[in-house]
Amino acid sequence: MASIIDFTDICKTFKVPLRAKGKFSMFKNFFARKYKTIEALKNITFKVDEGDIVGYIGPNGAGKSTTIKIMSGILTPTSGNCVINGSVPWKNRREFVKNIGVVFGQRSQLWWDVPVIDSFELLRDIYKIPREEFDKTLELLNDALNLDDLLNRPLRQLSLGQKMKCELAGSLLHHPKILFLDEPTIGLDAITKLAVRDFIKFINKKWNTTIILTTHDMNDIEALTNKIILIGKGQILYQGSFENIKNQYSSSKTIVVEFAKDYDDIHLDGYETISHEKRFATLKNLPSKQFHPKEFVNEITRSYDIVDFQVTSLSVDEVLAKLYKEYEIVER
Amino acid sequence: MLYSKFLKMHIQTSMQYRFNTIFIGLTQAIINIGEVLSVYILFSQFKSVQGYGFYECLLMMGIIYTVFATAECFARGYDEFHKLIKSGEFDRMLIRPVNIHYQILGSKIELTKLTRVILGIILVIIALIHLNITWNILKILVLISTFICGFLIITGLFIISATISIFTIEQFEFVNIFTNGAKEIAYYPINIYAKWMTRIFTYIIPVACFNYLPLSYLLEIGNIPMWLCAISPLLGMLFIIPCIIIFNLCLKKYKSTGT
Repeated sequence: MASIIDFTDICKTFKVPLRAKGKFSMFKNFFARKYKTIEALKNITFKVDEGDIVGYIGPNGAGKSTTIKIMSGILTPTSGNCVINGSVPWKNRREFVKNIGVVFGQRSQLWWDVPVIDSFELLRDIYKIPREEFDKTLELLNDALNLDDLLNRPLRQLSLGQKMKCELAGSLLHHPKILFLDEPTIGLDAITKLAVRDFIKFINKKWNTTIILTTHDMNDIEALTNKIILIGKGQILYQGSFENIKNQYSSSKTIVVEFAKDYDDIHLDGYETISHEKRFATLKNLPSKQFHPKEFVNEITRSYDIVDFQVTSLSVDEVLAKLYKEYEIVER
Repeated sequence: MLYSKFLKMHIQTSMQYRFNTIFIGLTQAIINIGEVLSVYILFSQFKSVQGYGFYECLLMMGIIYTVFATAECFARGYDEFHKLIKSGEFDRMLIRPVNIHYQILGSKIELTKLTRVILGIILVIIALIHLNITWNILKILVLISTFICGFLIITGLFIISATISIFTIEQFEFVNIFTNGAKEIAYYPINIYAKWMTRIFTYIIPVACFNYLPLSYLLEIGNIPMWLCAISPLLGMLFIIPCIIIFNLCLKKYKSTGT
């Protein structure tokens, strides 16, 4: 399958003014401003196939938004090539943007004071969508997102979740081939989150829409994406399936064991005793040791009398936090 | 048409805050009436300034009020461009398949300014009744083009101010010297000021083209060739072209703001 997004060696540098300090700093800032160059993106290269849902993750300030802005044609990169859907985003912008939809989780594209349906009608004019097609799409989106009660109310009266549903619908009215979602589930309650996730999956299936998603919610990543791109300090650190990276880290298990009686010392080959208090102990498998429940029970019951045990592996969030730390990409 | 949809949305929005809209509209007109009165008082003392009487100045004031308020109403998007950038609304415009200038014009339509437009037109009518002008078709055309010229020049100044905000993000107060300065200066026929000032506002920012030049033509006074006075509004209109070109060039350097 042909890739719909092809990013090659994209670099983006920003010049930021340095603020002079001390005497006459105001004048210095005004007349002789010094600049510092910041590399927001360094040699970003990746490909996305049509119909993929890609999770674009990384800590705050990693360059996620900059990448999205380059992909949607808002920013021009300093160097590198980028072909999306057969054209270069920042050249012939007006033609290019017909095929993309963008939702910025914290910014609205709809009008604050007028009923949502009027904003949609305006979008219909902006994208020159034929009436028939518009009605059909709206019906489909309406069914999938339950917009019926919302469409005739002004945006300002809607809750955050209801707004997000309308934003999603608004970005899909023109049937884009690629959808960029910048933190679509931010601040949503559990039920709405699930609804939004289901909807994203639904649209992806129905229209084979390619979706690029940035999020800090790892459950979004687990539930939706078939590929992740991990970015930190402007560089790509990992791209591939999320399962891979998860397995790599989730092999480390924490086992809480309850014993039948007090033991002075707990020692088990291949395991590290993290804590031990009376009849409870917490063990952890050493990196060299693969955890197997059956094997573990056999080994521990050989020397000790146990009542109960509980195994936990790292949560997805912990996996990611570990990953960030490992790559030292967390801003301090 | 798309623009009429934009307009409809703005009307709908102002209707949501009806009292506010009407109140702001009235206050703005009242401020201007105050200014007119102060000029009236001035002329009741001096009778004439450099040969110009009260009604000549009233005509100038009427024209600048009308064109400035029209620009503030319909080209507000440029005037408050820094807000569009800061709110991220401008990023949004860049992902729409519509000409960017069309979207900026449609993004803000400040209907409360219409009271000033109406006031300006009333002042122009009062002035024209009192001035001794022998009318012909050409003079009517010159008068109409004067209004268009004024609107385009003020809009051009707004576009320059917008261009600077592309880089500074903040509104650059220095530009106000030219926008508000051009407005204040045009209350009078600008050839009453010092030579250098008249020159700046004739050759650099062609305020003269909707000010004393067409006035000279209407009254058939002054020593500038009449044909030049007649076409001056048309020449002034050209001012907006470099403004748009510069804006478009600078747009390529646009940096956007964080999330």
